[in-house]
Amino acid sequence: MSGPGLIEDYRAAVAAQLPAAVADELADGLAETYDNYLRRGLGPVAAGRAAVAEFGEPAVVVAAFTRASPARRAARRLLLTGPVVGACWGAVLITGHAWTWPVPPVARVAAGMILAAVIALLAAAARMPRYRPARRAAAVACAGLTAWDLAAVAAAMVLLRHLPWPGLLAVPASASRIAFTARAMRSVLAP
Amino acid sequence: MRAEALKGHLDALLLAALEGGPRHGYAVMEALREATGGRLDLPTGTVYPALHRLADAGLISGSWSVVAGRRRRMYQLTAAGRRALAGKREAWQDFAATMSAALEGRPCPGLA
Repeated sequence: MSGPGLIEDYRAAVAAQLPAAVADELADGLAETYDNYLRRGLGPVAAGRAAVAEFGEPAVVVAAFTRASPARRAARRLLLTGPVVGACWGAVLITGHAWTWPVPPVARVAAGMILAAVIALLAAAARMPRYRPARRAAAVACAGLTAWDLAAVAAAMVLLRHLPWPGLLAVPASASRIAFTARAMRSVLAP
Repeated sequence: MRAEALKGHLDALLLAALEGGPRHGYAVMEALREATGGRLDLPTGTVYPALHRLADAGLISGSWSVVAGRRRRMYQLTAAGRRALAGKREAWQDFAATMSAALEGRPCPGLA
């Protein structure tokens, strides 16, 4: 296949798995590669083959984009920093004798379940071999984590006068994570 | 030269390729090939995702145009990208001088 057909097929193959903007960018790069081979004197068919060989088969390029995707990057960073933020809040709960707080059991269970679901989604997003499912998993996990952090910070503000000293670490840690997650979401959900 | 051998230096190479002005992804690959006489032939799967990562980090910015009926994304260095490039150049020169001194058995420049 040559020229426009080759480039359109290539674009369709990558667009099936990557965002449309990335597919457009790659199609433009392939077209430049193809034109380059035409200028060197190759015929349309040979130029098409050479261009795809040089630019990389769609599956190879899609796999590379998936490995380096913003979703995987964000998931890995949140998994790495999660234990630090968790330890800060754990210290708040222990030093504040959280078991004596008038929190309904259903709220305790819900908080634990949301956190467990977020961790599972982040772990999945960090390893998923396909771009779009990884993006969805990371986006849902980021939203859940932001809700968890906002609830924790709001609770800390309400209990400000009784907040044990580790709260001075936990609140800024959650606030930083909310800021990071908001930034990461913009990249993860980029069209 | 294989892309794996450049681990840790890829960002500096891409920033340097954009130092002369805006370029699209394929032109960045071409610029690196030309600057190194073809010895640095980085694959698409290395260059394009790395450009996206640098754009996310605010070191380069991307803008769209239409050329020959195709959408084209052009990248250019930001002020933060220029500062990062200067820092990476300095770090590389220091590293290269240190390694050369160690491999060739001569005193390290600056310590002699």
